[in-house]
Amino acid sequence: MSRVIARNEWQRLFAQPLAWTLLAATLAVLAYFFLLTLQGFLGLMPKLAGMPSPPGVTDLVALPLARAIASIALIVAPLLGMRAIAGERQSGTLTLLQTSGTSAAGIVFGKFVALCGFFVVLIVLALAMPASLAIGTHLDWGRIATGALGLILFAAALSAIAIAASSFTRHAVVAAIVALSINLVLWMLDAGARHEGVSSSFINYLALPTHLEPFLGGIVASVDVVYFVLIVVVALTVAARRLDTERERG
Amino acid sequence: MSPAPILQLQGATRRLAGRTIVDGVTFSLDRGCVLGLLGVNGAGKSTTLRMIAGLLAPSAGRVLFDGRELAEEPALARRLGYLPETPPLYAELRVDEYLAFCARLRGMRAADARRAVDHVIERCGLTEVRRRLCGNLSKGFAQRVGIAQAIVHDPDLIVLDEPASGLDPVQAASIRKLVSELGRDRAVILSTHLLHDVTACCARVAILHAGRLRHDGALAELTGAQGADLETLFFRIASADDAQAAA
Repeated sequence: MSRVIARNEWQRLFAQPLAWTLLAATLAVLAYFFLLTLQGFLGLMPKLAGMPSPPGVTDLVALPLARAIASIALIVAPLLGMRAIAGERQSGTLTLLQTSGTSAAGIVFGKFVALCGFFVVLIVLALAMPASLAIGTHLDWGRIATGALGLILFAAALSAIAIAASSFTRHAVVAAIVALSINLVLWMLDAGARHEGVSSSFINYLALPTHLEPFLGGIVASVDVVYFVLIVVVALTVAARRLDTERERG
Repeated sequence: MSPAPILQLQGATRRLAGRTIVDGVTFSLDRGCVLGLLGVNGAGKSTTLRMIAGLLAPSAGRVLFDGRELAEEPALARRLGYLPETPPLYAELRVDEYLAFCARLRGMRAADARRAVDHVIERCGLTEVRRRLCGNLSKGFAQRVGIAQAIVHDPDLIVLDEPASGLDPVQAASIRKLVSELGRDRAVILSTHLLHDVTACCARVAILHAGRLRHDGALAELTGAQGADLETLFFRIASADDAQAAA
């Protein structure tokens, strides 16, 4: 039944202005950022020509854009996912799902799939901008592909966190604030450690950027994939547990 | 047809925040019967229905659906239709989209769901609003879509929480007619505080007061032999505790 719920969530997401507005605003900001970095790259070109193995357009335009997508996703995921469960609780439609014989895990997973679908669209559209440069220059497609994969896993983790936050409240704004806080903590967790030059401790392992950067560098390591999958599993389990206990708590 | 009654409550009790809302309610219900759950506001009607729908676990006692517990076999819920106090509508979906989702959610195939939606739209008199957004419906239509949602998957047990609340007399009458029709081959349980709802469409009446079941019997025997009609009985039960409290 997760498929039916995911389809419904997707359909409702795009029947309302929120998803469209987020998509449009995000792409507008990213397009501006893309043009800025492209202009910077063109300005650097004469200098790069003198270097023995200069960084290419993939390093100087596509990867900064991918990092910008990641930063924006930190904010977009909480906004997009805040209503996933809280909104349904508020409007009374959660009872419809709960009395349909669908398990809490099924409900939560359906919503998760729908949110991930939104991010796949966002990431593909955003990366189409640097991809369009292929008309005039050589791109490192392998690194763009691993970067896209990393971003999708990253966005999946953020979506799961947003859903978990949403499952604890009936107020969407509260859910958004909680999810945003969690995202920012996970984003900056090891900033202090890195400042001190520590880069391989446990606290580095917990932070999101530690696991996103290798993908942008063209490396798909199982440890990074496992990290994102682990966040998704933990967050969705928490959300499903929360829905399950509703029968007891009332 | 299985021998067990479709719905059985055995001493179902529910406590919330230290207060006992429903206290040892026992009754059973078969197909082909409309049971009216009558009670004043706060008598525990909604909590009882939420337990039946599987939204609340009983603190003590059991709620059996077709002889089995809903919590142990969640798939049973597909044979149950539930209308909460406020109809659970998605404001941003069209009526037909919404009902199709409800049918699919209960495990119907796409083609079956389409047929079921057409059928239920006709049955609940929603033809003129089928392409309108749920959020733009009047109270009467919203309530009817809520009922349509509860019956679209052809359930064996239909649980309606105050289906006629907030409707004008004409709308209320059409809903009562619909409920009586549904009760011919299915089990229907509806809660209400309106005596007229019960006399118009229920074969059986159960009176709930302060969380306890105070009366359970056929409507016919109430108005017949005993001489005491429903209204007198209801007022006696509802005011007995007030008298006790005063004394």
